[in-house]
Amino acid sequence: MAVADLLNPGPGRGPGALPGTRPGTQAEPRPEARPAGQGDARPEDRPEARLGPVTGSRPQARSAAGAARRSAAGAGPDDEPLLVDALGPQGRFRARRRTTVTDVSGAPVAEIGLVPSLFVDRTVKALRRATPMGLDERIAAIRHAAELFATAELAGQDPAAYERTVARVGGVPLSVVRATTQNIRARLGRVHDSLAQARPAGVAEDWRSPLTRTGSAVWTRRAETFAVLAAGNHPGTHSLWPEALALGYRVAVRPSRREPFTPYRLITALREAGFGEDRIAFLPTDHAEADTLLRAADRSLVYGGEDVVRKYADNPRVLLQGPGRSKILITADTDWRDHLDTITASVAGHGGTGCVNTTTVLVEGDPAPLAEALAQRLAALPALPPEDEAAVLPVQSADTARAIEAHLLTRAAGTRAWLGGDGIARDLGDGSAVLTPAVHQLERADAPQAGVELPFPCVWVAPWSRADGIAPLRGSLVVGALTTDRHLLDELIAEPSIGNVHAGDHPTYWMGPGLPHDGYLAEFLMRSKTVIRD
Amino acid sequence: MSSPDNPILDLPYDVQPDPDEFLRAAMEWHFNPETGSPFWLRRAETLDFDPRTDIRTHADLARFPNVTGELRYVRAEDLVPRGYGTRPDVVGVFESGGTTGAPKRVVLTRDWLDRMVAWSNANLDAHGFPRGANWLGLVPTGPHIVGEFFRRSADTHGSRGFTIDLDPRWVKKLIAAGRGADAGAYAEHLLEQAEFVLSTQDIGVLTITPSVLERLAGREDLVELVNKKVKAIRWGGTQLDPDSRHLYRTEIFPDIAFCGNYGSTMILGFAGERAGLSDDDPCVFDPLSPYVTFSVVDPATREPVAYGERGQVVVSHVSKSFLLPNNLERDLATRIPSDRGAGDAVADIAPVATFENETVIEGVY
Repeated sequence: MAVADLLNPGPGRGPGALPGTRPGTQAEPRPEARPAGQGDARPEDRPEARLGPVTGSRPQARSAAGAARRSAAGAGPDDEPLLVDALGPQGRFRARRRTTVTDVSGAPVAEIGLVPSLFVDRTVKALRRATPMGLDERIAAIRHAAELFATAELAGQDPAAYERTVARVGGVPLSVVRATTQNIRARLGRVHDSLAQARPAGVAEDWRSPLTRTGSAVWTRRAETFAVLAAGNHPGTHSLWPEALALGYRVAVRPSRREPFTPYRLITALREAGFGEDRIAFLPTDHAEADTLLRAADRSLVYGGEDVVRKYADNPRVLLQGPGRSKILITADTDWRDHLDTITASVAGHGGTGCVNTTTVLVEGDPAPLAEALAQRLAALPALPPEDEAAVLPVQSADTARAIEAHLLTRAAGTRAWLGGDGIARDLGDGSAVLTPAVHQLERADAPQAGVELPFPCVWVAPWSRADGIAPLRGSLVVGALTTDRHLLDELIAEPSIGNVHAGDHPTYWMGPGLPHDGYLAEFLMRSKTVIRD
Repeated sequence: MSSPDNPILDLPYDVQPDPDEFLRAAMEWHFNPETGSPFWLRRAETLDFDPRTDIRTHADLARFPNVTGELRYVRAEDLVPRGYGTRPDVVGVFESGGTTGAPKRVVLTRDWLDRMVAWSNANLDAHGFPRGANWLGLVPTGPHIVGEFFRRSADTHGSRGFTIDLDPRWVKKLIAAGRGADAGAYAEHLLEQAEFVLSTQDIGVLTITPSVLERLAGREDLVELVNKKVKAIRWGGTQLDPDSRHLYRTEIFPDIAFCGNYGSTMILGFAGERAGLSDDDPCVFDPLSPYVTFSVVDPATREPVAYGERGQVVVSHVSKSFLLPNNLERDLATRIPSDRGAGDAVADIAPVATFENETVIEGVY
């Protein structure tokens, strides 16, 4: 990945900096370049003006009125927001309790119905009662859903309108959202490969395998229902949980307010593709009901920060996706200048909002030259609205951006600022602000700032010495190791608190098809069982 | 001024007095040294107005300070108006939930209990509750006034009341301590007891809190049992959101009459759900005005919000037996025109939607 792609990720340049979308790692063909001008941010093209009527509504007392509301829409920026309904075991459920989702400027984009815990509990019970489809059917349906997700009009939105909405609401650069659409399509299109790779060698996929005639391990579900408390930082996080569906779990997803549109679209597609209404559910809820969901489901996947990790750390039924705190280590035997593109991309790729983006770079020797060079590269990234074709940096509401900025400035006290020392919130004048990159130099590898992960390209550069060992690298989702020291690699790969090790010139966000992100999800969901039969 | 023991203070529930005339008679009763309670006569000395001359209309109740907190410490005897004589017909002394420190105490007299229950029974008739049924109550008993109202309602509207202890203070402690699983186990303990009653007795009316009802709804065997036997469910004690109410009425208990109440120890009773509302109407509660009155106000200014707008609920109790005006509750509600005169009706009692903490800083999720 060249940093040039980050700077110019316009139409026809390919997906850019995204998990699994590097040239050579993606099996699916690249998407066609989109017609020029499709992404122009003309006023009449604002996302809320493009949202079509809710389709597929079940006949319900309120849906006629809702459809009438929607059909009046589409004319101008004064449209009423899109209605995003819960998708429960009896179809669409238009909750009376609503909350408004705004774009980064504060303009209302959608109203989400929040379901009560009674609905959550009944939905999970219905999921448990539903019989899973056969494996082949499941895989086919997920592949079909992936195509629908990437190409079809779903719940009144075509892919372009969906992508623009995610960009405007989540503040994720449009090019990143587009690339993620293709990434989700590719990853779900090969979901069975992931499962096949995750299955221990020698374990039969099905008890009907002839292997069980003489005795064999067979792969079986640990339980039946799976809940997801989803993330809103990046639409790509939604390419993981469908593996649970592929394994036969029935799945309920609670979306994030920051970006409910990706799971809404994906689940709409999965339902249309054959999972129906009682095998996959979309349950927007308030906080209290999220606990109900975790209690009701057999197993759960929870995204969150340190607070969430503390809350669920002792719950064996919960798989946590906590802070990533990904890092790069460069030893003296390797010249960082040869890898500056990769280091820059690791920090800022896909908007720098991912858990796989680099938070800290450790350099054996003087970190100043690298910090300076990184700052120079990152300073060149343009501050643009998220729907701009050339946008590469994340955008948030101005209030949130200022809060993040204040937090950064407090945490960065006593460090040497190479970029962003005067602040990182670049106001766009419409109530939103771009989070521009920050580079700070630390005095020690174990400085507390080295663990401060923020949702934008924010990197800490620290000196590292052999005496520090791998201690400062513990607790990292990904460690990029630019070193020829095989003994050091041994240690990093053996370290239990490090999720993945990328040795050499690979950005920390690199993900290959069928490879684990934080272990295989299947390790959490499946077990091996001995079966022998006559 | 006529005798403080004005007959307008003793009207049956279905005879509606002129609210202001009633209010003035009540002020005379509570602040006349011969009939007022020791608590209020003492308290009146520190007021900067004379309730007997200055409180003329319902709006004037806003002049009273909120003395609710003082009910934590006052002697129960000092709360009973002297006009009740030396042997007042006291049903009992009851306490608030006690979630914020020491509980507040009120004294329930027979005349008020009878008026409240007679009015509430008529409301249950309007909701289609069958008369003469056996009732099962999964509600707080002991020091909690709701248990007394349950028994009295069961005895008068129904035939017999079966009860199960529910200690809300312990549940709240468990939840505050993060022991959600223990609170859940307590709810299961209640349901287990309810199942014995439901499966062996002819229960026609179930009185239950929304949270225990939700637990019950999670047990398919109990839902089946309730649908087989129970003709009417009365819920109250905490809020029930409109979506859950819809699910109960349409999916879970489609053939069972369903009626809520919004009560508080500090009003010595509850407001009843207005009859004839559809699922898409807001759930409106009418109090027994002019004795119990609500105002829905902007918490910052204490001014009433417009009809249909959300605000914080101010409750007042003004009856012969008790006076507690101008008490700001923690609940938010929609202001609805009253169907009985003074004060407001309230709808959609609910906490504010928060959905998600938007100020999380560190981390990317």
